[in-house]
Amino acid sequence: MTRKMGFSRISFADAIGVGTLGLRTRKTRTMLTALGIAIGIAAMISVLGITSSSDAQLKSELAALGPNLLEITPGESFTGAEVSFPEDASKVVERIGTVESSSAVFVVNTSVRRNEFIPKQQTGGIAALAVDLEMLSMIDGAVAEGQFLDLSSASLPKVVLGSVAAERLGITSTRRSPQVFLDDTYFTVIGILAAAPLAPNIERAALMGVEIAAELFDLQPEPSLIYARVNESLLDDQRRFDETRSVIAASVLPDAPSGVSVSRPSDLLAARTSTQNAFTGLLLGLGAVALLVGGVGIANVMVISVIERRTEIGIRRALGALRGHIRLQFVFESALLAALGGVAGIILGALITVTYASSRDWVISVPTTSLGAGVGLAVAIGTIAGLYPAARAARLDPAEAVRPRV
Amino acid sequence: MIQEEKTVVLELLGVEKSYPGNPPVRALRGIDLLVRKGELLALVGTSGSGKSTMLNVMGALDRPTAGNVLIEGQDLSNLSDRQLSSLRGRRIGFIFQQFHLIAGMSAVENVSAGLLYQGISRSRRHSNAITLLHRVGLGDRLAHLPHQLSGGEQQRVAIARALMGEPAIILADELTGNLDSKTSEEIIDLLHQLNRDGSTIVVVTHDGAIAHSFPGMVTLLDGLVANDSRAA
Repeated sequence: MTRKMGFSRISFADAIGVGTLGLRTRKTRTMLTALGIAIGIAAMISVLGITSSSDAQLKSELAALGPNLLEITPGESFTGAEVSFPEDASKVVERIGTVESSSAVFVVNTSVRRNEFIPKQQTGGIAALAVDLEMLSMIDGAVAEGQFLDLSSASLPKVVLGSVAAERLGITSTRRSPQVFLDDTYFTVIGILAAAPLAPNIERAALMGVEIAAELFDLQPEPSLIYARVNESLLDDQRRFDETRSVIAASVLPDAPSGVSVSRPSDLLAARTSTQNAFTGLLLGLGAVALLVGGVGIANVMVISVIERRTEIGIRRALGALRGHIRLQFVFESALLAALGGVAGIILGALITVTYASSRDWVISVPTTSLGAGVGLAVAIGTIAGLYPAARAARLDPAEAVRPRV
Repeated sequence: MIQEEKTVVLELLGVEKSYPGNPPVRALRGIDLLVRKGELLALVGTSGSGKSTMLNVMGALDRPTAGNVLIEGQDLSNLSDRQLSSLRGRRIGFIFQQFHLIAGMSAVENVSAGLLYQGISRSRRHSNAITLLHRVGLGDRLAHLPHQLSGGEQQRVAIARALMGEPAIILADELTGNLDSKTSEEIIDLLHQLNRDGSTIVVVTHDGAIAHSFPGMVTLLDGLVANDSRAA
């Protein structure tokens, strides 16, 4: 009698039951082994999460500051000579359809000192600038102390200090009407600005009205800097945004538009932060090393498990399991072990991110793709780690494996 | 009893088995044996007589170096490892000296594992397993884990597992070797009971008392059949 035989097979549900058996019966070992992977994944997720939260924080800051702010400065002409803007450059810019408003800043050739006894050379890097009254709203600045220039103070010897300038001059309050010394005149400080990350040169300047500047100093009539706010709708349309930039350049200097530099301060800020993020590469690498070590740990534990469970493997072979079933069982167990670690790791990583970001009052951002990738990576490592132990298990000679042992 | 009328379940033809070494160990040196449906056969011999090797070869756990093993007429030498595995799962039941239950699985789960690799639904396997556990007298130990059972109880679970799927033949290796004499008797009684219900059983043992209680006894000596009580 010859029978036609099909091969042994196992249902999906049963395969899962078999594959989880080893983990269920050795809970402590399972937890400790998964911990290695969990640490690696948590390290990577928290690095990504903290970076992403810091990016999100920056973006929200930039959005608050206004990414539609442009800084227009004279650059170098085609021939390399310095260019200067026409006196009415700010008005010209404002006339462009996509520009909402603009404001000119003039350099005042003077030093800013705490008093007359300080040598002229010790400027502390503080510039004197003449600005119009709209300048503050233009850079989304705010007054931290006192008040900004108004119509009357603009024509009087009064200044408003940028936050950095105030700090360098040692002026923290306007309550006692402190004064600063410019050339040979004492100016009263009527206000101190809050930090303005988009306008670092305003932060480092003493600001006065154009009228008083023209009256007391040798004021260049050409603006050295023009701030412009463009229509917000341009932000979603890079082509129109670039167009506006070239229109601005061509309008300011029709003869030499290449001599006009139109930059976006928020871009610079973003670029500066992204270089800080180069660090994250290193940290991610450390996370990857932790993962690798975790993977080796899993392989190690699986090899031990296969040796311990020789009899079980022999029994399963006697009960009809194919080599493939045994291999699958151990690869599955290994992958599942790593997946447990992966899930624990992403939870841990997300918690670290949330805790860190909220401790710094950041916007919390945990990239969801990194969560999925974290578990995926863990499963991949677990699968690879399980291949060798599983192959050993499948190769066991069933007769040898069920032999009674003393 | 006219044995020729009964179906041959297992047949060994000139089976030899040697293990590599210097000189090679010849565990089996040309064995011919017939096991017919419904037999209860003892395989006896001293330690090193080759009886365990023979059981492995009979149960398709090991391949002979020479000769043929036929199970229900199927020559195993033509079968691949996958086919051998599948055949073990379907047609052969194993009982081991050390019970070899799977740790962490309840009595029902261990018994139902007898058909785990046959693609049979879990619920059907479980209900079969419960029936069999009642049959071996463990109806009140269904959910117990192996370490919560006595040796005799564990061996009954192992017997129930071997019975799953109604195999053509049940092979038992020193199944009372780890049990006290009273429990051994109970287990042997159970085998007689199962045999009366139709199971074909071959038991390897070095215990003469057990062997003599069986209808058939084959004695091995140095890898050869020294005596077959059925031929007499």
